Amino acid sequence: MIRLEGVHKRYGRTVALEDVSLEVPRGQLFGLIGPDGAGKSTLMHIVAGVLAQDAGTVVVNGVHVDSERSAERIKSSLGLMPQGLGLNLYPTLSVEENLDFFAGLRNVPKAVARQRKTQLLQMTGLTPFRDRAMQHLSGGMQQKLGLICALIHEPELVILDEPTTGVDPLSRRSFWRLLAQLVEERGMTALVSTAYMDEAALFDQVALMQRGRVLSVGAPQALTDRLPFEQAIIRVRNPESWQTALAEHWPDWTRWFEGHHLHLQVPKAQRAAFEAWIKSDAPSMEGIWWQPADLEGLFLQAQQVHKETVIDLPPPRAERAIVAENLTRRFGRFTAVDEVSLDVHAGEIVGLLGANGAGKSTLMRMLTGLLPPTSGTAEVAGVSIRGNSLAVRRRIGYMAQRFSLYEELTVRENLRLFGRIYGLWGGRLRERLDWALNWSGLDSVADSRAGALPLGQRQRLALSAALLHGPSILFLDEPTSGVDPAGRRHFWSLLRQLCHDEGVAMLVSTHAMNEAENCHRVVMMRQGHKIADAPPDVLKQQLRERRGELATLQVDRPWQAERVLLDAGLDAFVQGRQVALFVHGEAEVSGRVLPLLRQEGLEVRGWQLMPPTMEAVFVSLIEGVA
Amino acid sequence: MMLRHVWIIALKEWREIVRDPIYLALAFLIPAAMMFVLGNGLMLEVRHMPYGVWDMDNSAQSRDLTERFRHSRYFHHAGALHGYRQVEKALRRGDIRFALIIPPDFSERLARGRTATIQTLIDGQFTYHARVAKGYVSAIVAYYNLEQALRWAAVKEGRSPQALERLMMPVRLEVRYLYNQALRSEWSMAPGLVMLIMLVSPTLLTALGVVREKERGSIFNIQASTVSRAAFLLGKLLPYVLISLLNLVVLTLLALGYFGAPFKGSVVAYALASFIYIFAAGAIGLLVSVLVRSQAAAALITLLGTMIPGFMFSGLMMPISSMSPEAQVEAHVFPAMHFLEVVWGVYLKGYGLAELIRPVGLLVLYALVLMGLAWFTFHKRVKR
Repeated sequence: MIRLEGVHKRYGRTVALEDVSLEVPRGQLFGLIGPDGAGKSTLMHIVAGVLAQDAGTVVVNGVHVDSERSAERIKSSLGLMPQGLGLNLYPTLSVEENLDFFAGLRNVPKAVARQRKTQLLQMTGLTPFRDRAMQHLSGGMQQKLGLICALIHEPELVILDEPTTGVDPLSRRSFWRLLAQLVEERGMTALVSTAYMDEAALFDQVALMQRGRVLSVGAPQALTDRLPFEQAIIRVRNPESWQTALAEHWPDWTRWFEGHHLHLQVPKAQRAAFEAWIKSDAPSMEGIWWQPADLEGLFLQAQQVHKETVIDLPPPRAERAIVAENLTRRFGRFTAVDEVSLDVHAGEIVGLLGANGAGKSTLMRMLTGLLPPTSGTAEVAGVSIRGNSLAVRRRIGYMAQRFSLYEELTVRENLRLFGRIYGLWGGRLRERLDWALNWSGLDSVADSRAGALPLGQRQRLALSAALLHGPSILFLDEPTSGVDPAGRRHFWSLLRQLCHDEGVAMLVSTHAMNEAENCHRVVMMRQGHKIADAPPDVLKQQLRERRGELATLQVDRPWQAERVLLDAGLDAFVQGRQVALFVHGEAEVSGRVLPLLRQEGLEVRGWQLMPPTMEAVFVSLIEGVA
Repeated sequence: MMLRHVWIIALKEWREIVRDPIYLALAFLIPAAMMFVLGNGLMLEVRHMPYGVWDMDNSAQSRDLTERFRHSRYFHHAGALHGYRQVEKALRRGDIRFALIIPPDFSERLARGRTATIQTLIDGQFTYHARVAKGYVSAIVAYYNLEQALRWAAVKEGRSPQALERLMMPVRLEVRYLYNQALRSEWSMAPGLVMLIMLVSPTLLTALGVVREKERGSIFNIQASTVSRAAFLLGKLLPYVLISLLNLVVLTLLALGYFGAPFKGSVVAYALASFIYIFAAGAIGLLVSVLVRSQAAAALITLLGTMIPGFMFSGLMMPISSMSPEAQVEAHVFPAMHFLEVVWGVYLKGYGLAELIRPVGLLVLYALVLMGLAWFTFHKRVKR
C-alpha cells in the first residue's frame, strides 16, 4: 500500500526525515512510535500527499507521488486525520453537518452517504448527538467523530496522527475497538501514530522512529521478543532500600517506580540469578510478577533511558494545603462541577482522574482562583479563593492544559520573563533561573528558541516557569498529554523530586493511568461529581474485593477474544496485546475461560493473575456508575 | 463535481460565520460602525472654527468689523477676551483656534484717514486649518476695506455706492459648484467611505476565513481530498462576497439616508462595479491568507494593506494629480482609485455604464489577476 525509499525532508536546517525506507502492506494496522520530534507527523503528511519530500521515492496505492499533480491521484483513496483533538472538525457545525461536509468533499453520492452516516453514527454511539454542535461534544466523542469523518468515503488507506492524545482510557479503548473493526471489515490499511505504547501493541506492525530515522520495524511481538530482557514488577515495602540494593547488585538495569511497584528490566540470561538473589539477599517485598518485555521497554531502550534515580515519596504532612468544600460551578444550565469537596495535604501528590468533560479542568481553575465558583468555599494555602486571588496566586504554581510559552523567546528568556512576572529580580532571579535550568535538565538548550523544542522539553520548561517563584502548591492540568514515555517518565521523576525535597503539594490531572500510581492519593471524577478518593492501593484492593483478580491472557487476536468473552457474559477488555478479565481464582480461568476461547479457535499462549491496574480501576468505576 | 465542492465549502463557511458571534459581528457590525465613525469624524471642511476677539477699541467701527466674523458660518464666536494673558490661555487650552486683536486707536486712526493695524493669532498646529482660517480672515478684512473705500469715494464723488461699485469692480466672478452644489463634504465622503470599507471588510474577512483553517489544521481536509484549488478558493470567497453585498446595501442606504448623499447615476453600473470590486478585495484577502500562517498576522497585514492605500492613494484625501510621481504610480496599481472614480461618478456625476467602461474594465482585470495569483500560490502539497 505504501512504499518509501530513501525519503529525506528538512525544514530549513532542521532534519525531519533522513533516509527513511518503509513498506506498509495492504490491509495492515501499521503504527508509528517514537519520541516527540522524531518525524512521525512529517512522514504521515508526505504519505498523504500534503507535504513534498525533498528526496526519495514515495509510492502510495501504486502511484509515484512526486508532484502536486501525482499527489492528487492518491487522494480519492485516502483519509487523513491530523494531530490535535477535533482540530480537523468545524466546532460550530453539528455532528451531522460535519459528516455531510466530509461526504460532500469526498464526492459520496447522497443516498450512499445517508446510509453510511447512519451506520457510522450507530457504531460510535453518536446517533443521539447528531444535532449537537461539535464544540459541545466531549473529547472522546470529538475524536470518534473525527475518525468517522475521515472514513465516510471508505478510503483504502487511513492516516491517523496521534488520534488518542488527550483522550481518557475508556474512550481510547472504544476508539481502537472501532478502528480494528473497520480495518478488518473493509480491508482498510491504517497508518497510525501514538504516544501510548500499550496501544501500539495492538498494531500489526510498528516502526520505531527517532530523530528522523526508522530504527526498527516489525510486528510488536517479534520486536519485543528480540529484546534481551524480561520485565519484573515487584511490589516493594521500602523503595529506598531496594534502590540501594539494586545499585549494588544490578547497577546497569533500567528501572522505574510506579507507586510501590518497581519495574525492572531483567536480562533474560540473568533471570535465574536474579530470582535466586531475591530468595536470599533482597530486601523484603510483597509480590513479584513477570511479564515479557513490551513496547515501552523497546522505546525506552532506544531512547537509552537508564537507571532513573528512584525517589521514595515521603508521607504527606498533617497541615492541609488545599481545603475545598462543596465547590460547584455551573455554566448556564450545565453543571460542570457539582458539590466537590477535596483535601490536599502539604507534600502530597493527588491525582485527578476522569473522562473528558468530567470537570477536572474546571475544578482546577476554581482552585487557582481563575474561575469563581458558583457556590461552595475553598482555601488554598490558608487563603480563601474568593476575591483575594492575588494572594492565592503568589503561593501557587499552575501549569494549564495548553501551557503558554513565548515561542520566539529562548528557554532562558522565557524563564526570566516568567520570573519577572512573579516579581523576582536581581540575584534572587539569577539564582532561581540557574536552579530551574539545572533541575529540569534544560541547561543544554537554554539558548534555543522555545518553539523549536520537542514537546517533552517544552513541557518541562512550562513546569519550571510555574515553579520559579517557589510556590508551595502546584496545579498541573494534563501536563503529560501527548508526551512520549521517556519524556513522561522524566517529568514524573521531577515531580517526585519536588515533593521529596521541597514538600510541594500537587494536584495533577492525567489520562495516563500508570501515572496515577505515582500519586499518594487519587480523586476520580465523573460528570462533575467526585466518585472516589483514596490511595491507588486502596482502590485496587477494593476492586479486587468487588470483582476478583485480574487474569491477563496472551492471545493473537485480542479483539476477537474480547468479543467472545463479552458474548459469554464475562467482563473482558483489551489491555495492550492481552485480553484481561476479572476472575475469582485460577480455577475459573482454566475451567471456563480457556475452553471458551479454544472452542472459538483462539489459542491462549499464556496467562497469569495480576494485581488490578489503575486502568482497570478507572474503567470499572467510570463504567460501574454509569 | 467542481460546482458541488464550491457549494459545499461555501455552505460550511456560511454556517461557521453566522454561528460564531465574534465572526458575525466582524462581518456585519464593523462595516456599519466604520461608516458611522469615519463619516462623522472625518469632516475635512473648516466649519464653526472657534475664535475669540480682544477688542481694545470697542467702538462702533470695531464692532462693525467683528460682527462680520460673527456672521460667518465658518467661525464660531467663543467669547470676548481681555488682555494678552486671556488670549494666550484660550489658545493654549485650545478653546479657540485663532484670536482677533483690535488696538485701542483703531477707529481713531481710521477717522483720521490713516491705516490701522489689526492682528490675528492663529493656532498653527493643524496647518491645513490654519491656512484656511488665514484665508477666511484675509477675505473678510479685504471686503471690509473695499466697503470703506466705496463709502469714502461715494462721499467724495457724490455718486451712489452701487454705481461706484460697477466702476471700480468691472469684473465679477460667479462661482457655481457642479456635482456637489452646496459643496458638502459628506456628499463626497460618504461614497468614498463605501469605497474604503468595501475594500477593508471583504479582504479582512476572507483572509481570516482561510487562515483560521490553517491555524486549526482543518486545511488538511482540503489538502488531503480531491477538491480542486479553484473550487476551494471560490467556495471560501463566495460567502464573503455575499456578506459584502449585503453590507454594500446597508452602507449605500447609510450614505443616502444618514449622510444625505445624492445618487444620480446608474444603479446597475454601481451594483456591477461593486460586485467586481468586492471580488477583487476578497481575492486580495485570499492572496494574503495563502502567504501567512496566523490570524493575527493576517488581520494586521490586511488592515494596514487596505486602509493606507484606500485612504491615501485612492484620491479620497488628496487628488491623485497633486501626489508625487511615485505615489501616483502606487495609486494607479491599486483598485481603490478606480472604484472611487466609479462611486463618485454614480453618486455625484450621474454616470452610467458607458462612462465607466474604463474603471470597471480595470476592476475586472484586477479581480482576475488577483484570483489567478491566489490560485497560483495556494498549494495542496506544500513545501513546508
